Amino acid sequence: MSARAIAPAAASLLAALAIGGLLLTASGSGPLAGYDALVAGAFGTRYDVGETLVRALPLAIVALGVAPALRAGVFAVGAEGQVVLGAMAATAVVLGLDGASAPLLVAAGAGAGALAGAAWALLPALLRARLGVNEILSTLLLNYVAAAVLGWSLRTWLKTPDEVPSPRSDNLPLEAALPNLLAGTRLHWGIALVPLGALALAWWLRTPRALAYDVFDTHPSLARRAGVDPRRAIVATMLVGGAAAGVAGWLKVTAVDGALYASVAGGLGFTGVLVALLGGLRPLGIVLAALLFGALSAGADGLQIDTGAPASLATVLQALLLIAAALAFEARRRSTTTTRTA
Amino acid sequence: MDWAELSFWTLVLGGAVRLATPVVLAALGEALVERSGMINLGIEGMMLAGALAGAWGAATAGWGAGVLLALAVGAALGLTMALLVLWGGANQLVVGLAVTLLAGGLSTYLFQLWQPSGRTAARVPLAPVVDVPGLSSIPLVGEALFEQSVFTYLAVALVVLAAWSLRRTGVGLAVRATGDDPARAALRGVAPRRVRAATLAVGGALAGLGGCVLTVGYLGSFTDNVTGGRGYVALAAVIIGRWSPLGALAGAAVFAVFDALALQAQGQGSGIPIELFTALPYVVTLLVLIAVARGSAAPRALGRPLDAAGG
Repeated sequence: MSARAIAPAAASLLAALAIGGLLLTASGSGPLAGYDALVAGAFGTRYDVGETLVRALPLAIVALGVAPALRAGVFAVGAEGQVVLGAMAATAVVLGLDGASAPLLVAAGAGAGALAGAAWALLPALLRARLGVNEILSTLLLNYVAAAVLGWSLRTWLKTPDEVPSPRSDNLPLEAALPNLLAGTRLHWGIALVPLGALALAWWLRTPRALAYDVFDTHPSLARRAGVDPRRAIVATMLVGGAAAGVAGWLKVTAVDGALYASVAGGLGFTGVLVALLGGLRPLGIVLAALLFGALSAGADGLQIDTGAPASLATVLQALLLIAAALAFEARRRSTTTTRTA
Repeated sequence: MDWAELSFWTLVLGGAVRLATPVVLAALGEALVERSGMINLGIEGMMLAGALAGAWGAATAGWGAGVLLALAVGAALGLTMALLVLWGGANQLVVGLAVTLLAGGLSTYLFQLWQPSGRTAARVPLAPVVDVPGLSSIPLVGEALFEQSVFTYLAVALVVLAAWSLRRTGVGLAVRATGDDPARAALRGVAPRRVRAATLAVGGALAGLGGCVLTVGYLGSFTDNVTGGRGYVALAAVIIGRWSPLGALAGAAVFAVFDALALQAQGQGSGIPIELFTALPYVVTLLVLIAVARGSAAPRALGRPLDAAGG
């Protein structure tokens, strides 16, 4: 990559650090002390590393799942609602099977999460494929509907009979969760799904079908000649994305939260889509982007505890990184395609 | 009070006009942006930024200052997006989502610096409600339509102005030409890049104003994510309204009527779950979107980047 191609991305990275520094100064802590606390919060102790990984995990799963759709030019941004539905279905099934053996609870929870996430994706997928309804808007609007469904469920059929300060479900049995991986942290065996998912995506990208999906958006007729039915491509990729988001919801509720709360998704679906974009829609890139976002999120909590600067700094830095990446991708595309198309 | 009483529907109508105002402003801006061929997914973030900027400005120097600051912050975000997409070549959908994330994070961050939790909230002076003499005493609809915030009248005036400018002025022609065929527009001496940058700035300013209506027009306070997806509803309103300013007004009205109905019906204790009412405006917006999906009236170059020659 030439220096000219790197320049805009490097400049925007520096700008991101500078803006973060300004915000840290505004909060009363110095920029250096702030960044120091941020790094310590992400990697300082064994627990912090665990937090970084446990936050990166669902982001990576959502992002790996949504990547095929985004590659096909289907801008599906409904992972937030699909995470919610996946978590809800997993909660209901696990509570319904109370007393069953651990392997059954894990399998049933995972299956229910994936199915519910995919089901929530099916409606916008069919609307786009059959009626041409813009998938960006339908998925965004359905995210708000999913939040309402969750609120209603937590007030009615999934509500715990215990006296609790905020609405939540009954505690899920410990057997329903994947076992802990790193003692003293919240990290669980679900992390194994990340390399598996990345390998699956890497394998799929080597198939001829993936290539046809890639040009499906820009050259629909070419894709059709390669035997790709646009409708099936839309529905299939969106269902995969929905199932992955549902699995992320299942992991969050069983292995991390231990009960269903209204905040179960907490923006992770939305952020997961951004992680896919930051990672350049490639498996390795997505895993690295998820680690980076996870570290920022865990680090910002440490920052808030240490210096009092609000943890939402992480969100700001994530957005700035995404902008830097968007510029870098364009620069790289230009430097690699000018020779071909000129 | 119940469904059968007229006063209930008067309240719904008045509420609908109030709730439509922020969405109309944002949707009007987005209609202009899309007519010039861009899609602004940052609109939700621009509204949120405007909501905070407006509240802070109003609390510091009066509601007028709040409005100006919200306009300026929205326009600045729009221009930033223009710089990144039109000159930096970045993908407009990605940058739009990034701007929404950025504004969400920034507004939460700055709001906590301004009002750390536990401290009493700063007082945000509200923009005045204007009572149109004579008209506001029309039975049933007078109160609902003519006793509204200044923002409502401003929104209607801007819609009419934008509709007229798009159709009748050279600027409007340049915007439409850029949205339909930027390369040919460039041959005729229009600078597509500058036109798109200008509509993004105006669209951002109007989204900021829309957010400001929520805090400075009605609520008198800011809360995290106070816009609650209204930016996305505005995006839907543009499609529902077939990319025209008056259509955007109608599209926003569809959402607002159900939003207002939900708000009034919630107070009734009818046994219907309140979440059904919260979801209803989004569901109805989606249904209308489905109903109008066939037969596209979209600008022909909508969402397509300018090629090297189009500058």
